[in-house]
Amino acid sequence: MDALAGDPLFAGGPGVLHDENPYRRALLPDVAAEVDFSRPLTAGTLDGPAALTAHRALGTLYEAEHVLLPEAGLAGLRGDFDHFYGTALRRLREASISDLEDFAFAFLDDAVTITGNCTVEDLDAYFQHAVDEAERGDAPALLAIEAASDPAVAADTYLVQLALDGLTEASAMSRNLGGAYGPEQSALFKIFIDEFGYGVFEAKHTTIFAKMISSRAMRTHVHAYWNFYLPGPLATNNLYYYLSRDHSKFFRYAGAVTYAEAVFAPAFVKMIRTYRNIFGDDVDLHYCEEHAHIDQHHGRITREQVLLALAERHGDGVVPELMRGIAEARLVGAWFEEDTAAQIRWADRPAAYRERGEQTAGGEVLRHVELAPGHPFGTRNHAEDVVLVVARGEAELVTTPTGTPDRLRRGDAVHVPAGRVYGVRATTGECAYRVHRAATEQ
Amino acid sequence: MRRVVVMDLSRHNVLVVGDRRWFVLETAGRAELVLDSCPHRGGPLSLARLTPDGRRLACPWHGTRVGTAAVRRTALPMVRTGDEAVVVLPGVGPEVPVTARRRRVLANLPPMDPLCDKENGLTGPVNGNLTDTTAGTR
Repeated sequence: MDALAGDPLFAGGPGVLHDENPYRRALLPDVAAEVDFSRPLTAGTLDGPAALTAHRALGTLYEAEHVLLPEAGLAGLRGDFDHFYGTALRRLREASISDLEDFAFAFLDDAVTITGNCTVEDLDAYFQHAVDEAERGDAPALLAIEAASDPAVAADTYLVQLALDGLTEASAMSRNLGGAYGPEQSALFKIFIDEFGYGVFEAKHTTIFAKMISSRAMRTHVHAYWNFYLPGPLATNNLYYYLSRDHSKFFRYAGAVTYAEAVFAPAFVKMIRTYRNIFGDDVDLHYCEEHAHIDQHHGRITREQVLLALAERHGDGVVPELMRGIAEARLVGAWFEEDTAAQIRWADRPAAYRERGEQTAGGEVLRHVELAPGHPFGTRNHAEDVVLVVARGEAELVTTPTGTPDRLRRGDAVHVPAGRVYGVRATTGECAYRVHRAATEQ
Repeated sequence: MRRVVVMDLSRHNVLVVGDRRWFVLETAGRAELVLDSCPHRGGPLSLARLTPDGRRLACPWHGTRVGTAAVRRTALPMVRTGDEAVVVLPGVGPEVPVTARRRRVLANLPPMDPLCDKENGLTGPVNGNLTDTTAGTR
């Protein structure tokens, strides 16, 4: 991690958004240095800097196994391309990716167990239960958007989490298209070609996703909003890479992708309702409408022709793995939702958290941060509640991809709950701030 | 016909389905919902203690020693995520009453002290296979 996060390609830049360069993304070596990578993530540490750092790094390693080229052409970025895909980083990737996967996903072994004598019929009963539950249940992130004082900014925060997958959609799926595994392979391929617009770029899902965020005046290049991805959404995206990179996990992947395809359609119906209420016709929701429709088919195809077909063909021995994949996708998907909802609720109420910061600022100083002009901008979180106190100069607290940053002056304090992701940008030439452990409120 | 029920394992460790009962047996760090019925005369295995070798449960009724591997073969299909357990009940229709409960379960305690074996009269027959006992439920 020291070598990876310390690589110049991952040093980040002064801008809040990343430039149109898919090879550069901030991995924050100083935050990575705080993480003890000998102690894998647990269910209790998922929202802290360890999860954020690990999943940023893991996502970077996974994407280095796929082709990323800038839409504007490679002209000035050839050096970065050569370095991103070059021997040094490839060797580093090959040497570290399995350990990093263990660190990031070993918690699933404890979090999910499948027991009992499970048959194909049990698998289908469990699957239908999980899908019915998702259809009937609330969508925490959408509820947070609807309750926000600035629902447009909150809605953009949600779009950014979707962009993580939306702009590179089905890349993980592509890893399970090769080989020879019968009719189930062809069924998965049918879904894949839908995702890729049947070879028509204008119909490719990544293209219509870009149109959706463009209609919100947001940047459409891959990872423009890297700094605003949350641990839950990063982990959700990485889960499918994790399960598809190693084909010993193929049946888990099949369970996970079947669950995902089945719950997408109703989820996008809910999203359309929320976004129309906020933006009326001023947002292009073709991407959501496409998924609300086509994922009904994908849900049916994956259930009948992938999930149950694999179980029928390969016997009850693979059923626990298929069920595990469903349970893992459900668990990590809930993390996506809860994490995004918590970020929206916090970022929507800066005045309240300033007021709270005044009450909780008396705790031990954990870090002193100096921001010089041109200092790379990065976002991070903490495993515990902290308070940021500006010691010198002025700064902006950045908590949303499209909202107005909160201006902080010397002496100002802001309470940051555990897990919430923020960045601080100096607005004067120099700025310093302290990170305090949050004290008990008075 | 299958029915799916959800249990909160932090609150409940027994599932009563009609006139049959399953309890949460913890083996090797895994929670499994196994039939609470000794194959000998139907004694409550949830109140059995592990034998000193940790491999069998000694039924409190007649001391029948039942292998834990055989007990585990009676387990209901269950997906545990944290404290939530989604349990699939094969052959159980909507008319059958299903209740989750909390009961004292001795089967999850550490193995008995061998010195106590004779005092407890645990000398009954050994039964290592319960498959037949539960065949009618699947």
